[in-house]
Amino acid sequence: MPPFRVGLLKRKLKHPIDESKDAGTCSPRDFSGNSDNDDEDFLNGEIQDNKEDATDSENEAGINSDTEQDKVLFEDEVDSVLGDIDHQSSSGESSELTDSEGDDSEGVSSESDEKNSNSGAESARNRQTSNHQKNAAKSNLFQNKNSIHVLATQISEAAITTKPVQQRDEYESGDTSDEEDRVNTTGDVPRWWYSEYEHLGYDLDGRRIARPPTRDHIDEFLRKCEDPEFWRTVKDPSTGQDVILSKDDLKLIERIRNGNVPSETHDEYEPWTEWFTREVLATPVRAFPESKRSFLPSRSEQLQVSRIVHALRMGWTKTRRQLASERRARSRSQRAFYDLWGGPDPDAVQRRATPRHLPAPRRPLPSHAESYNPPPEYLLDKREMKEWEKLKETPWKRKYTFLPTQHGSLREVSAYPRFIRERFLRCLDLYLAPRAIKMRLTIDAQDLVPKLPSPRDLQPFPTAEALRFEGHEGLVRSIDLDPSGQYLVSGGEDGTLRVWETSTGRCLRTVSLGEPVTRALWTPVSGLSLLAAAVGPELLLLNPGAGIGAHRVAERTDRLLEEPPPAHDVQMDERTRSCVQWQDVTTARVALGVRLQVHHFKPLAHVSWHARGDYLAVTVRDGGARSVCVHQVSRRRSQLPFRTAKGLVQCAAFHPHEPRLFVATQRAVRVYDLVKQELVRKLMTGAQWVSSLAVHPGGDNLLVGSYDRKCIWFDLELSGKPYQTLRLHGGAVRAVTFHRRYPLFASGGDDQNIVVSHGMVYNDLLQNPLLVPLKQLRGPEKRDDLCVLDLRFHPTQPWLFAAGADGSVRLYS
Amino acid sequence: MSGDPEAAQIQVRFFTKQEQYAIPDSPLAIQSNIQTNELSTLVNGLLKESDSSIQKSVDFDFLLYGELIRTSVAEHLQEKGVSTEETLEIEYIERFPAPSPQDCLMHDDWVSAVDTHGNWILSGCYDNSVHIWNHKGQHKLAIPGHTSPVKAVAWVTLDNDQGVFVSGSHDQSAILWVWNVSGNSVESVVTCRSHEKGIECLAVSADGKQFASGAWDNNVCLWSASLSDEDNVPPKKKSKLDQGKSREALTTLKGHREAVSAVQWMDFNTIISSSWDHLLKIWDCELSGIKQEIAGNKAILDVAWSPLNKSIITASADRHIRLYDPRSSDSIVKTTFTSHSGWVQSVRWSTTQDTLFLSAGYDAQVKLWDTRSPKTTLYDLTGHEDKVLCCNWSNPALLISGACDNTLRIFKAKHAIKHA
Repeated sequence: MPPFRVGLLKRKLKHPIDESKDAGTCSPRDFSGNSDNDDEDFLNGEIQDNKEDATDSENEAGINSDTEQDKVLFEDEVDSVLGDIDHQSSSGESSELTDSEGDDSEGVSSESDEKNSNSGAESARNRQTSNHQKNAAKSNLFQNKNSIHVLATQISEAAITTKPVQQRDEYESGDTSDEEDRVNTTGDVPRWWYSEYEHLGYDLDGRRIARPPTRDHIDEFLRKCEDPEFWRTVKDPSTGQDVILSKDDLKLIERIRNGNVPSETHDEYEPWTEWFTREVLATPVRAFPESKRSFLPSRSEQLQVSRIVHALRMGWTKTRRQLASERRARSRSQRAFYDLWGGPDPDAVQRRATPRHLPAPRRPLPSHAESYNPPPEYLLDKREMKEWEKLKETPWKRKYTFLPTQHGSLREVSAYPRFIRERFLRCLDLYLAPRAIKMRLTIDAQDLVPKLPSPRDLQPFPTAEALRFEGHEGLVRSIDLDPSGQYLVSGGEDGTLRVWETSTGRCLRTVSLGEPVTRALWTPVSGLSLLAAAVGPELLLLNPGAGIGAHRVAERTDRLLEEPPPAHDVQMDERTRSCVQWQDVTTARVALGVRLQVHHFKPLAHVSWHARGDYLAVTVRDGGARSVCVHQVSRRRSQLPFRTAKGLVQCAAFHPHEPRLFVATQRAVRVYDLVKQELVRKLMTGAQWVSSLAVHPGGDNLLVGSYDRKCIWFDLELSGKPYQTLRLHGGAVRAVTFHRRYPLFASGGDDQNIVVSHGMVYNDLLQNPLLVPLKQLRGPEKRDDLCVLDLRFHPTQPWLFAAGADGSVRLYS
Repeated sequence: MSGDPEAAQIQVRFFTKQEQYAIPDSPLAIQSNIQTNELSTLVNGLLKESDSSIQKSVDFDFLLYGELIRTSVAEHLQEKGVSTEETLEIEYIERFPAPSPQDCLMHDDWVSAVDTHGNWILSGCYDNSVHIWNHKGQHKLAIPGHTSPVKAVAWVTLDNDQGVFVSGSHDQSAILWVWNVSGNSVESVVTCRSHEKGIECLAVSADGKQFASGAWDNNVCLWSASLSDEDNVPPKKKSKLDQGKSREALTTLKGHREAVSAVQWMDFNTIISSSWDHLLKIWDCELSGIKQEIAGNKAILDVAWSPLNKSIITASADRHIRLYDPRSSDSIVKTTFTSHSGWVQSVRWSTTQDTLFLSAGYDAQVKLWDTRSPKTTLYDLTGHEDKVLCCNWSNPALLISGACDNTLRIFKAKHAIKHA
């Protein structure tokens, strides 16, 4: 039997016994001597047990051990191995059965010698005298104190009733295990199967082997006293017979107990055969044993197979179909739905909280110079070599960190001496150098500028001064154009109202009104020839007269204004009457062209026409709650739309086509619905002091100029907050205006620049207005820190008119 | 010749279409930086060589690749982007002689309109009057009659003893006047009232039977220019009877959306009109419909059409004069003439030479142009001190312009008729 089998058996045998296993783990299992020893101990222990308390009750324990043995997988092996053990143990039995006492004493002495032999074995090992010797000694060393005694107690528990063997001859003749098997043919079945029967089994001839009569303790005791052979009588579990161990057996047992090699014939100290010598042999000996792997079956495989077998036995295995259905059931039960309304995933939050992975900086790829056979241009020539040498002290200044070298083949490349060092440094770098992800913001300043179309694409717009209208002596407060754009009216500080021909700059008419004209406005209706002029506290409505505009229109206007409306239409409440009086016009003024005259309680600040030309919104300076006044020209009546003062009213303007009134106070613009008589919305300008207001011809956009240099564009469709605040001026903005047809607006103020901008309002509500400053026009000369006082666009042409503080009106085209 | 050694030599060959100045056709090598006057001297020398009878030297202008050489030949070539390697064919023509200032006619107010017929000059003034002058600068008559500034005047016919002219004013009327030359008396014959707003321009047809007017009411009106009331248009208003007969328009051409700034007859029934709505319209008078439309991108202040070269020049509310060809269907500007520094108010073609025209601008300049030289003028006629409002070149010898400085200036073109 090969040694590995024995080892295997031993393991299997010990399987149910924990302690022996522990002991086994300590000892190398591969040695045959060792395993033999174990088995001998097994026998020996049993014997001892019998000596001390060979009782009947042990029988049951033996039965238990049998059942446990049943669990062992390779049972046939067990059997055969058992046989082997028996065979080995009985090797020297026949010769020396008798001298038991001596053996005993020998056993004792050998026990005492153990340590000596151990030390001797160690020394022997040191000397490397014998392989076998060493192994045996080693195994002894381990097992003396542990395994043997443990085994003995185990076996005593698993006491098997012994029975003297009747056919002793068979043993004496040195029979093999096969012969032994003839005694009981039941095979490897648990002995307790037969516990109820009279017989233990069957012999070869099929006769029953009768169970020997069980002895009680008294019998045992008597036998102990009487039978001199009792101490070496053991019970054969298969036959139930008592077997008297021969002298050889005892000797064997003794040897095993002493931890010696069981076989006496084995020479522990046989001379060392040197399989390998340092001398080179002509024909090397390959007599060393086969490698272990060549004859060992794979242990992992064995484990796997055993696991499968075990699973089969236990009924754990499953068919594929079962597995599939299980998987299906699992997936069904675990089907997850995303919780749409749940809070943030705590795991995700945690994941985010973990520091970000910082990738190590990449090393540059090796270049051609790093090749083992670089192209000649990468090799250093003499001059470069000189430089290389020169930089010896400062190697980091060198071109390369290494010297490019040419090798005939890769095989000739020597090991790089600094390899480990460099790897180490690199690891240090990666490990110790602090790394951080640098968020580099490379923003081009140009990218921050919003994408605006080029002014070239937004033509036409006024670009240069074309004409100058000169004649006023003093500030030109206000200008306006007639609806066709043929005439320009201007009102100045010199108390004159002048009408100009737009195309030539010819002053056609000058009306002297005495007091400074703060506001001059042409009616927006082309069918009327009417001018509104604010002169101090008076609002004058003038017909510019013959030669200006169509005769027919002028006549019609005069006719319309000639007869006053019936008195019941003119009724005004007391409050209004207290501050507004429609006065009769003096004949001198009629000659000047004045047709209507409205006197206010305070000087006028601002006047604006309604688009239909019938209403005028007048702002009275410092008027408190009565600062806004609406006049109706056709009925010659007025009304004060507001009861309470909401602030210092700067100006008021009508919506171009809806019944709404925009009232600009110092900081806000309020939008009132005139039909419902309520505040629609309040637009916070964000400016300190609003100076002027212009309503886009579409009505949905509003431009507000302020004394703190801002132009504020409101998109009423968008929000009550400024859509855009344009800071284009260096001084106060005094005038803002929209073009009626072109998408243009302009702003001017105390700095000398008039800014013309493109202000495109789209019909598409989703598209916000596009505001593009187009051109800075050089404004009129500065006088007393004033420059541009009013701005107007030509009604049809892309021309801009600016009223200047220097008494001129300029046309830009 | 210039002695600049660095200048390249170029091969040139001179030729001309004016036979009296023909020279032998042989290529010459000249310095490339040669100026026009040097070239002129060269050609004069060649002329004298070939024909000893010519004694007087003539000033020439030189045409290379369709444009007049205004700088040196090298710069001209560089501008054109042609190489100096090959032989250049340079055409030379007699230079248009510089007009000399002849007279300055003082008015009481801005001169807004001017027209000439033969030696008689008609001018409209902002003081509501029309004036008649002869070419020597003698003031013949001051004719009050309008109630607003006169914006347009035009001769209808002029005989030895009687002249007929029409004046349009911002008082929305055009008056047909008869001037007795010998008696030096004038009489308003017909007052034409159809315009609702001020008349801006007038044009009399070639046969003198009709005239057209454009006004601020966006209309072009056609009127009969006959003195008698044969077309049975009853006077509508009694109040006009004391001034003379009133007349209404034969046809009103409606189509412009803004003020009509200029009208001109192209032939007996075609009118071209320009407007502030950026459009040029060519009207068929018989059908009173639009034949063609040319769109610009600026308000057009004046238009002139030349029967000689059949092209249109426009003055618009910017510094440029644009040349259009009405025969092409698209409204593409053929050439842009830029030299004025203010708005160009008035343009007039020469009646004798198809390449010359006159322009007057708000920069107080009157400029004489050649269409072959779009970047530089031939001559700048200076003298005005304020915006020039009108110009006229009906008499080929007289270049007349009226301005806001209350003057009418006359420049005389020397022997210009010889070139006809």
